[in-house]
Amino acid sequence: MVHKVSDETFFAWLDGELDAGEAARVEAEVAADPRLSAMAAEHRAMHAKLKGAFDGVIDAPMPGQLLAAVGNPPQAELIDFADAKRRRERSFWPSVTQWSAMAATLAVGVLIGTLAPQARNVAPVEVRGGKMYAASALSNALTDDLASAPRGTVRIGLTFADQSGAVCRSFTDQASSGLACRDADGWRVRGLFAAPEGQTGNYRMAVGMDPNLAALVDSTMAGEPFDAAQEKAARDKGWRSSQKPSDQAGRE
Amino acid sequence: MDQFESFEDGLPGLLPRLRRFAHTLSRNPADADDLTQATVERALRSQALWEPGTRLDSWLYRIMRNLWIDTVRSRGRKEDLHAPVEEAERMGEDPRSAIEASIDLKKAMAAMQSLPDEQREIVSLILIEGFGYRECSEILGLPIGTVSSRLVRGRTALLEMMGGSQGE
Repeated sequence: MVHKVSDETFFAWLDGELDAGEAARVEAEVAADPRLSAMAAEHRAMHAKLKGAFDGVIDAPMPGQLLAAVGNPPQAELIDFADAKRRRERSFWPSVTQWSAMAATLAVGVLIGTLAPQARNVAPVEVRGGKMYAASALSNALTDDLASAPRGTVRIGLTFADQSGAVCRSFTDQASSGLACRDADGWRVRGLFAAPEGQTGNYRMAVGMDPNLAALVDSTMAGEPFDAAQEKAARDKGWRSSQKPSDQAGRE
Repeated sequence: MDQFESFEDGLPGLLPRLRRFAHTLSRNPADADDLTQATVERALRSQALWEPGTRLDSWLYRIMRNLWIDTVRSRGRKEDLHAPVEEAERMGEDPRSAIEASIDLKKAMAAMQSLPDEQREIVSLILIEGFGYRECSEILGLPIGTVSSRLVRGRTALLEMMGGSQGE
């Protein structure tokens, strides 16, 4: 180039890498030189186009094998789907702080509480009219418990609304985890997954969401998971559908 | 920013960015996901080497970049020199995920592939991943002047290929 600003300096200016004094000098040079101004505009446009193309990857669904790869640390799946959901809906990359705060909330929701064992061990589900419903202790926990205050062996993970407005809750029991949604007849179980080998008991299952369950939750959830206040409000309303008349909830 | 108290807190949230970085380096989305997975596995195995309080993202990017370089070298220069455009054009036939459906991404990957490796990694870290020159030079272990001059060459070539103003 035949101007006074070297290429390196020009681009360092474009990338915001110069200190204030030098940036001002280059700024003036660029403003005074139509060729440099045009070059700045072209490179900014190219940069935006390039970055925009790759940013699609950020919003794309994460393949299962990648989710599984980070599945070892506790909380991984739990964090990930909520994060993906939020990104899809708002279509921006949440700040790390925001993300961590949310992850912390979710994790605390399933972690806090007593580990008091519950002796009764009756079948947690029953089939009624060809549909599987939560029974006994599981049904009670889904109806009464808040994520922040588990009472028996069942812990509630996330509470959220599905597309129809029906309230759904993920849960973890000693040997399984699953998702149930409220309809007129009770808590209809949408999915039930056995705990991976070696993860029965209380701690590991409670924090690491089964990848299958995470996928089911992700595909069922409309909007964001309820926070503690929304969860409590939904319980106080008897878990009635939030968007449609209650006679529609759960009828498919 | 981007400092985490624990490895477990940081890694899942960085996964989408790592995956994007992998797409900027790799010939096709399948390779990119393989690279991402290899990076996560390597990181989990060597997490004791990461020092809490330092930037986890830079550390992970360095792992990915080194794995990628290893792959490129083991594949051999000959094959690598041809990889670019035709390969990227064929990508669309693989209905593996929604990603391939993006014409923009296909073109962008092809354009990045046409850059020499040593320019591509710098263009990616600075223009796509948003690192500063100094952070980039630290991740790559290169003098900042080298980063700066390779960036000039890389983005100048990209502008020729992609153009600036014409629409998407």
